[in-house]
Amino acid sequence: MVDSKLGIFGLLSDAGPVVLFVLSVLLSFSIISWAIIAYKFGYVRKSLSESRAFLDYFFEIYNVDKAFSASENYRKGSLPRVFRSGYIEYRSLGDKADIRQVRARIARAVKREANAESKRLSSLVPFLATVGNTAPFIGLFGTVWGIMTSFHNIGTTQSASLAAVAPGISEALIATAAGLAAAIPAVMGYNFFTHQIGIIERDLEEFSPEFVAAFINEP
Amino acid sequence: MYAEKKFLFWLVAAATIHVLVMFLVIYLQILESKSVIKPKIVSVSLVSFLGSESSHEFSEKQGGKEANSAPLHDTPIPPISKRSVKVKEALPESVPVPAKKITKPLKVKKTVLDAPPVPQKKVSIEPLPPKPKPKVIENPADISKALERLKQNVAKKTETSSQSSASNLNNALAQLQHKVKSEGSPNAAGGGNGKGSAPAGRSGPGKGYGGGGSSAPYKAAIASIIMQNWEFSKLLLKNSYGMEVYVRINILADGTINQIKFDKRAPSEYLNNSVKKALEKSSPLPALPKEEGTRDAWIGFVFTPEGIEKQ
Repeated sequence: MVDSKLGIFGLLSDAGPVVLFVLSVLLSFSIISWAIIAYKFGYVRKSLSESRAFLDYFFEIYNVDKAFSASENYRKGSLPRVFRSGYIEYRSLGDKADIRQVRARIARAVKREANAESKRLSSLVPFLATVGNTAPFIGLFGTVWGIMTSFHNIGTTQSASLAAVAPGISEALIATAAGLAAAIPAVMGYNFFTHQIGIIERDLEEFSPEFVAAFINEP
Repeated sequence: MYAEKKFLFWLVAAATIHVLVMFLVIYLQILESKSVIKPKIVSVSLVSFLGSESSHEFSEKQGGKEANSAPLHDTPIPPISKRSVKVKEALPESVPVPAKKITKPLKVKKTVLDAPPVPQKKVSIEPLPPKPKPKVIENPADISKALERLKQNVAKKTETSSQSSASNLNNALAQLQHKVKSEGSPNAAGGGNGKGSAPAGRSGPGKGYGGGGSSAPYKAAIASIIMQNWEFSKLLLKNSYGMEVYVRINILADGTINQIKFDKRAPSEYLNNSVKKALEKSSPLPALPKEEGTRDAWIGFVFTPEGIEKQ
């Protein structure tokens, strides 16, 4: 159905095993990168929007019980999660006479949840950085290997004409193109998510003491 | 658990999107390949020149037949096109004339100049060998030697070919002698109607068509060899104007290319060099046909990147 000698796929039909392996690795990198980008985009966006909504509600009522019940509606937001962990810790305390101990325990619970939330947010993102950094080199490796093979064939056929040189080099350059195609979206996604996660982490650091203070000062 | 499922969903989605993109690329390439006009292939046109020795023999042969007014029906020789003759008159005598351009790839069309004569045409397709005819004329001993050799050749041909008649031979010899005489006296008005051809590129006022010394299959064979060795891409030509290379080669009996002469160079040195390299690479060519009895032969080519002229 499809002409085997058509375009880049025609070139690939003549590619060596190393170049094909490199291309398959880059293809898998690209698929995983795009999956991470799609997954993380929804996760981070939801977390940001729900955190902002919860913060607005929290500062509006400044009541931990009502805030806790409202946080059930924001289960994917980072700040509501942290607040819930602090609230659960606060309610689990039997004796609240020692304020310093109560503050320390709530602060510890809030910090632990903030760390866990930070890990959840940044999970899989380093893979994007890895793809962004290594994919061009992997593609370059395929290109170098393909050109090596091409020059070897030129030496074997004892013909240095354009017709003999060009197909091999063209085939080899596909690996570099594939590496760049995998790396560019990965780098863009990595930069975007790093920025978004940084915003959420700053919110966590900033508002965690506010949550602890709200529990301590509960009327 | 929920997060893992969601990530797996996106993984499958990404893989599906990649597959779809690949199919889209293939589909676009199919569409593109259907819409793209295939580029024309560079072709080389062949024009033959008279060989220094073979021209005598050939002229003699042709002259004999001309005297008998017997057209060449036994061998299918394509006639010289009007266009070829027209160009020839416009160009210097030594410049080979491009024949028809070939549209089919990797095929060489050939204008065989050992064709039946075209009457009333003064200019013949003849090469300008570097030191041509005058030498022969000044030395009568050479003429007699040549005549003897030609007689031997003709006698040999007569033996091998039962179709040749004695009258043809006599006529041919007479024709040749007449031609030599007319060449010997430059002021004399050559009224010969034979197909005498002058290796010096000057033919008498009579019908001056002579063929090259090499046979048509031989020319086709060497043209094919040169085409195979010609590495050229018209994409590398920035300008297409005047991209014609008129070149003629002197082939020794053993097939070695003795001399390469550029009668007209193209503006592109790339084209010129590619032609030169192709010819050098093609040497040695197959040996000249023995039946021709030649020591060497001049054969001309016109290298043109086809399609550029039409632009």
